[in-house]
Amino acid sequence: MAVATPKKGSLFRRQHLFAGVTLTPIMVYMMFFTMVPMVWGILITFFRYSPTRAGEGFLGLGGANPFVGINNYLDLFANTPTGQLFRISLKNTLIFSLLYLPLNLIVTLPLAVLIESVSSRIKSFFRTIYFLPTVTSAVAVSLVWGVIYHPTFGLLNLGLRALGFNGFAWLSDPNTRVLGIPLPMICVLITYLWSDMGYNIVIFMAGLQGIPDVYHEAAVVDGANAWQRFRYITLPLLRSTLTFVMVMTMLSSWQVFVLFFVMTNRGGPANLTRVLVLHIYETAFRYQEMGLAATVAMVLFLIIMITTLIQLKLLRKDWEY
Amino acid sequence: MAVLGKPQTLLKETTGTAPAKTGLHVTLGQVLVYLVLTVGIIYTLIPFLWMLGTSFKSATEIVRMPPTIIPEKFTLNSYLTIFNDPRVPLGRFYMNSVIVTFSIVTMVLFTSSLAGFVFAKYQFFGKNVLFTLILATMMIPFQVTMIPLYLVLVRLGITDSLLGLIVPGATSAFGIFMMRQFIEGIPSELIDAARIDGASEFGIYYRIILPQMGSALATLGIFQFMGTWNDYLWPLIVITTTEKRTLPIMLTWYNSQHGSRADLTMAASVLVILPIVVIYFFFQRWIVRGIALTGFK
Repeated sequence: MAVATPKKGSLFRRQHLFAGVTLTPIMVYMMFFTMVPMVWGILITFFRYSPTRAGEGFLGLGGANPFVGINNYLDLFANTPTGQLFRISLKNTLIFSLLYLPLNLIVTLPLAVLIESVSSRIKSFFRTIYFLPTVTSAVAVSLVWGVIYHPTFGLLNLGLRALGFNGFAWLSDPNTRVLGIPLPMICVLITYLWSDMGYNIVIFMAGLQGIPDVYHEAAVVDGANAWQRFRYITLPLLRSTLTFVMVMTMLSSWQVFVLFFVMTNRGGPANLTRVLVLHIYETAFRYQEMGLAATVAMVLFLIIMITTLIQLKLLRKDWEY
Repeated sequence: MAVLGKPQTLLKETTGTAPAKTGLHVTLGQVLVYLVLTVGIIYTLIPFLWMLGTSFKSATEIVRMPPTIIPEKFTLNSYLTIFNDPRVPLGRFYMNSVIVTFSIVTMVLFTSSLAGFVFAKYQFFGKNVLFTLILATMMIPFQVTMIPLYLVLVRLGITDSLLGLIVPGATSAFGIFMMRQFIEGIPSELIDAARIDGASEFGIYYRIILPQMGSALATLGIFQFMGTWNDYLWPLIVITTTEKRTLPIMLTWYNSQHGSRADLTMAASVLVILPIVVIYFFFQRWIVRGIALTGFK
């Protein structure tokens, strides 16, 4: 009898119990590996910290790893080798990201529009091929393109020589510049575009499929040509997709590591392709200066947050269709 | 005559109608569309062909002028060299990558679907705060927390081990977010009906929710698989011993040993990307749909 008529609220208690029992360990686990490192990361920016030195006290912060206040932050602006290296890395990251975003959009948006305009079977063939590089390991991408750019047996130089030209030292020439941009940086941009454009093509295609056909049909009736339909219908209606793509592309271009580590051999030549993520890795794990490296990581975090907020604000969607 | 004539008219019809149908509409614009798309396809495929071609070339053909995309003489020498190199325990590296990837994918699918289920279908105090916290962790780039995360592993004593690669990856904020979105679409009436029939809460998750999540689990699983299989930075930081290397780490190490032998490095690259390319061709529908739905990489 008692079993057949449960007490009021026991069902809710059972559900609460289940939610608590399952979610608590998952949340605690997740926070332990995200929020704890985040707080720890902020903490060590105020110390001259290296795990190779035995510190004392809480988390080894103290003793041989002394508290230095905001000196790590001041170091970034100082006229010291570390400060200069940071500013070179920051400059290169800015060059890379600001060039990559328009380059990517100029290539992926038209390609997506064109792929959407062909018949459905060919469409899925094109999409499959264009997306293929994105699943390829970044290390393999770096090695393959490294071989393509290779000065003696690379495809580019073999081709150029067959046509009677001299080749280039694509990835190691510190002097050649195109429009002021070092040749190795341009090579990395082209490779990154190759490995990354499939994502945006797929996202743009999904966005294009979401635009109702009636708008285009009405425009055709009104005598609009293909460019006018793209400029005055597709582009405005694609605005939310465009915002999303711009933010995501910008975010991922701040975080490129493998190409700069493998293809241009740790930011070479002459630090022309040294970017912030590479600088953080080298400072923390090669030179074991983790306090300083964590400070650079905080700067990267701030930049990423600020650019995201600016882009979201500039491109805020204020109407629906 | 009739025998001869019939195939001819057939031929005329088949060759005649197909172009006539499109032929009327083939404009300069359409030619341009296909031209641009083909140029893009060439840009996309050349590196793959160059990699495959080079891996089957002999050491002399690599530097030949003019270059050959398709090798004149196919040779398996580079692959045999890698397989027979005692300093390259390829099976070991494959095993490491498989163990790490399989563990992380399984745990992420389990924790994400369970937590996603609770967030989607249960009411409790602090739910919105917790979910906002999960969204917030999605915004923190890995490069920002990798240094202290390494220090955490040092404290736990699991650096230079496969465990060090697996343990921090067992949960995924993105996975929980994605699963919650999906499970919210499953009608709550199903859950209520199961409760009336006496199902336990975990039974509801296991028997009602999980069987309906095939496509969502496949999508998340593929993403996680690609991310973990291709991951380079984290193993680079954590692993120092040769036998514990994963495939991408093996690849850069092999390149540092044989950088001047493009046939060898390309063969090694083919061996690393082959599993993921095969999986891509099998599951590309889910990958493409997943990206279109969530927009995340």
